[in-house]
Amino acid sequence: MTFEIPSHITRDELLLEVRNLKKHFPIRKGVIRRSTGSVKAVDGVNLYVKKGETLGLVGESGCGKTTTGRTIIRLLDPTDGEIHFNDPIQGWVNLAPLERKELIPMRPHMQIIFQDPFSSLDPRMTVKRIVAEPLLINKMASGSELQDRVAELLKIVGMRPEYMSRYPHAFSGGQRQRIGIARALALNPKLIVCDEPVSALDVSIQAQVLNLLEDLQQDLNLTYIFVAHDLSVVEHISDRVAVMYVGMLVEQAPTDKLYYTPKHPYTEALMAAVPKPDPRKRDRPIKLPGEVANPANPPSGCYFHPRCRYAKEICSVERPPLLEVEPDHFAACHFSKELNLRGVVALNQ
Amino acid sequence: MNQVNESVTDKVESIFEGLDIIIKVKDLHTYFYTDIGIARALNGVSFEIPRGKVMGVVGESGCGKSVTALSIMRMVTKPGKIVKGDIKYFRQIQNNGAKGVEEINLTDLPDMGPEMRRIRGAQMSMIFQEPMTSLNPSFSIGDQIMEAILLHQKVDKVEAEKRAVEILDGVGMSNPTQVIKRYPHELSGGMRQRAMISLALSCTPAVLFADEPTTALDVTTEAQILDLMRDLQQRINMSIIFITHNLGVVAQMCDYVTVMYLGRVVEQATIDDTFYNPQHPYTSSLLRSIPHVGSGQKERLQPIRGVVPDPYSKIKGCPFHPRCNQAMRGICDVKVPGLSTVGKSHTVRCFLHSDVVEEETYDL
Repeated sequence: MTFEIPSHITRDELLLEVRNLKKHFPIRKGVIRRSTGSVKAVDGVNLYVKKGETLGLVGESGCGKTTTGRTIIRLLDPTDGEIHFNDPIQGWVNLAPLERKELIPMRPHMQIIFQDPFSSLDPRMTVKRIVAEPLLINKMASGSELQDRVAELLKIVGMRPEYMSRYPHAFSGGQRQRIGIARALALNPKLIVCDEPVSALDVSIQAQVLNLLEDLQQDLNLTYIFVAHDLSVVEHISDRVAVMYVGMLVEQAPTDKLYYTPKHPYTEALMAAVPKPDPRKRDRPIKLPGEVANPANPPSGCYFHPRCRYAKEICSVERPPLLEVEPDHFAACHFSKELNLRGVVALNQ
Repeated sequence: MNQVNESVTDKVESIFEGLDIIIKVKDLHTYFYTDIGIARALNGVSFEIPRGKVMGVVGESGCGKSVTALSIMRMVTKPGKIVKGDIKYFRQIQNNGAKGVEEINLTDLPDMGPEMRRIRGAQMSMIFQEPMTSLNPSFSIGDQIMEAILLHQKVDKVEAEKRAVEILDGVGMSNPTQVIKRYPHELSGGMRQRAMISLALSCTPAVLFADEPTTALDVTTEAQILDLMRDLQQRINMSIIFITHNLGVVAQMCDYVTVMYLGRVVEQATIDDTFYNPQHPYTSSLLRSIPHVGSGQKERLQPIRGVVPDPYSKIKGCPFHPRCNQAMRGICDVKVPGLSTVGKSHTVRCFLHSDVVEEETYDL
């Protein structure tokens, strides 16, 4: 049995299909930098993204969520696997085997927003140059047209075009993140990988940026892969959510299903760990013994089995594949059909 | 306050009904004298910390949460200075079997003097946000914990090591006899934070300042650390001042909440009132701006408009009025609201609730 996209979804509805994606980083030692092993940062990820939706990608630090996002848009070269992208002109293209040159016409469709707005903007460039750079490289605009386009982009993200000759240091964290978003929007992309776009921002500013991202998605028909570790932010913004653990997806489902009726014990533990902003609902977290497995030397069978309270013998032997256990709900667990797992308690109940 | 002896009292009056307080901060001003001007980090902070309870301090970055903790610990260093105000610490003492409370005004003590050094680390200690930068990379975990024990307790090295192992065991560190020989870089983030907590708890302090202790950690590790802190707090009945901007953590951990904005306390209340009956517009705006996990609703978030002004600026009137939805023209932009009581253990600084005006104290 392998991962299959639900049959009710047509090829036209999809924007992206990722199959068995792997990204291994070699560990080099000694004088001749001999490869002595590899860190399996992404180790067989299967997922799909529909046009216009937001797929949340969550997991603990080091689980490979950022690497997955970056490999999908080919900022990193995949070790193995397929990345099928539904190009508006050419139709379906597998990005994985493409060479650097062949990727150039694909790049404008895929952009990224980075986590840290302080290190992702070049301090020696004016805002105008930062936002204009993608347009110049792709020869999409020049002269006064360029100026107008930059002004328009800044307006879209809620900034005053008069500020375009200033440098990044003159702006606050939230404003810098808006500049980063303007840059990502410059080429009218289809897909934007948002890599922890609000985790460096203050709570009140987070809300401003999240609202902006939602508005832009509506207005410009964007598709997001939203990488984050904050489960309340992901619940708010995502249509579907994928949970990662040590380089693999353990669960993928529509947001409500994943949050209320999780089908993987790891998701259950994550949900129980989120501190709920309600003093009348205090509960103790599910104890997860031990530490996150080392992606250079993962355990046998299901990677989660040493920490799983439901683990049985088969879990340490056989690695469970990501299968559709309920309509649109995928889980990689031998017992996801038998287990009755607890989701986030609905606060309004 | 009914005085016994010179400075020993049995009970300290408190805004918290039926509770004893351990620290009382009054009109505290801490300024930083920098090249580009005076940063008024704390501008008249007054609040009380109840004994044996967990008090959350919340607010956006730059509102003075950390400086408050550093001021009470007397760890504000140049160019910072406490320019005005009182910090009273009510120390529990046992005198010939009779329990009493001794009042110490921390602002009167020299920050590097012997009295303050006896208090700091022993009776008050602090956990920092980033355990990697606050542990010394060139000493083993054991050495760092033993240093605190040897400094404050009359024990020899063997005994100190034994205690260090016990403490590490107490915070749920697996294999503590091995861990004391390890260096900070050899531990994971969660283990480092446990080591940091052990260090802070090594002399069973009465007051613990936890400055964003779980912000750098993953949710599952965060949950473990919070669980541990709650257990320890109940076991040794210490007062915790929990500084965070994560309202979820506050809801799960705290008994009381102090909300700060731009160097002032704007509201102080019980945890339940803070979440279910907030009185200051800033508190309610903060609560509305966060996504609630498990709410199942896709409602738009309501951000607070604008940003926190920089601490160099002078704002006339209530510091929150430029961002406040309920600001009243001619009142909020003219005068500074004073502290008023709005209910049981609930105080607020806002003209929507009272006409109390506070004197402007900008020109110190």
